[in-house]
Amino acid sequence: MLNFFSPALLFLFQEAESTSRASQMLHAAANPDLSKFLVIGALLFIIGVAGVLTRRNIIVIFMSIELILNAANLNFIAFSRYLQETGNPNALAGQIFTVFVIVVAAAEAAIGLGIVIALYRNKETIWVDEIDLLKW
Amino acid sequence: MTLSGYEALFFWIFALAAIFAGLLTVMARNAVHSALFLISSLVSVAALFVLARAEFIAGVQILVYVGGVMVLFLFVIMLVNVGAEERGSEEIFNKQRQVTTSLIFCLLLVGALLFAINRGYSGLQRLRPTPETSREAPYRPSATGSSQLTKDTEGVGNSLYRYASLPFEIASLLLLVAIIGSVMLARTLRQEASADDVDPEVLQQEIVNDPELEKLQPQSE
Repeated sequence: MLNFFSPALLFLFQEAESTSRASQMLHAAANPDLSKFLVIGALLFIIGVAGVLTRRNIIVIFMSIELILNAANLNFIAFSRYLQETGNPNALAGQIFTVFVIVVAAAEAAIGLGIVIALYRNKETIWVDEIDLLKW
Repeated sequence: MTLSGYEALFFWIFALAAIFAGLLTVMARNAVHSALFLISSLVSVAALFVLARAEFIAGVQILVYVGGVMVLFLFVIMLVNVGAEERGSEEIFNKQRQVTTSLIFCLLLVGALLFAINRGYSGLQRLRPTPETSREAPYRPSATGSSQLTKDTEGVGNSLYRYASLPFEIASLLLLVAIIGSVMLARTLRQEASADDVDPEVLQQEIVNDPELEKLQPQSE
């Protein structure tokens, strides 16, 4: 048990040793770096996942999927910028990949909304818990 | 990559705006409100792209997402009219147990992700410390010559056509398939009948409800 927690404790003690922790955090907040972009991307991703899992309206579920794809795009762009500064010759690959993610998202939205319209025409509902044709 | 000064200020403004708009997207009762909050979230993320020196992607994001995809969403919301939600008589979330379970797992996931980012980034810093004085020169204003801005976009276009030309063509094919597929999916029964694309048995059943369908069939022979 102690072994499991010891890295966390070590981390805490190291932090406590530095005399001006608040000023360090302020400095980190005033100079957002790669990790801040990743944190924002992670939070957007989680919000999208929660939306997909909890909402009943199929259109809002599609919108949550768009949010998830956007969080991934944010990570791609942040890493692309980071690699540009380290002088990586392939740094722009992240931006190229983002273009393709946007293309696939547009195609997915068109097909998905077509399915929603067909479903609404046949079942007269957009609540996902009432669409149970394949459920036994 | 370390932002500072005004860039840091704008980073926090747009990051908080993106997250709050995302939360409101998930929590809004009315689907139209959801769509509008999603638009503001997407615009905020585009602003973050600009801060990360990806201006072309930011422009594409606004043009394609806000100009194309979200307009499509709004049309569909108005087509399948969601009156029940606005009257407030129906529950917008799943059953209580499902919501609780999924929120617990989401919290676990967010904790794990933040932990992983923290550990991974500190490892990255140890591996390759970022130089503190890595400030690039600010954008030069340019009337005719090439500035940093056009150079970045030039680089994107260059590598898009040089290294990713096959995926580019595949993406165009994917879009073609998506166009045809969505047109086929969204046809009404009458449109399908006039194209002679309905199963004969189904057509016989439906003619009872709607005698007009008989006339719509194309005269063969």
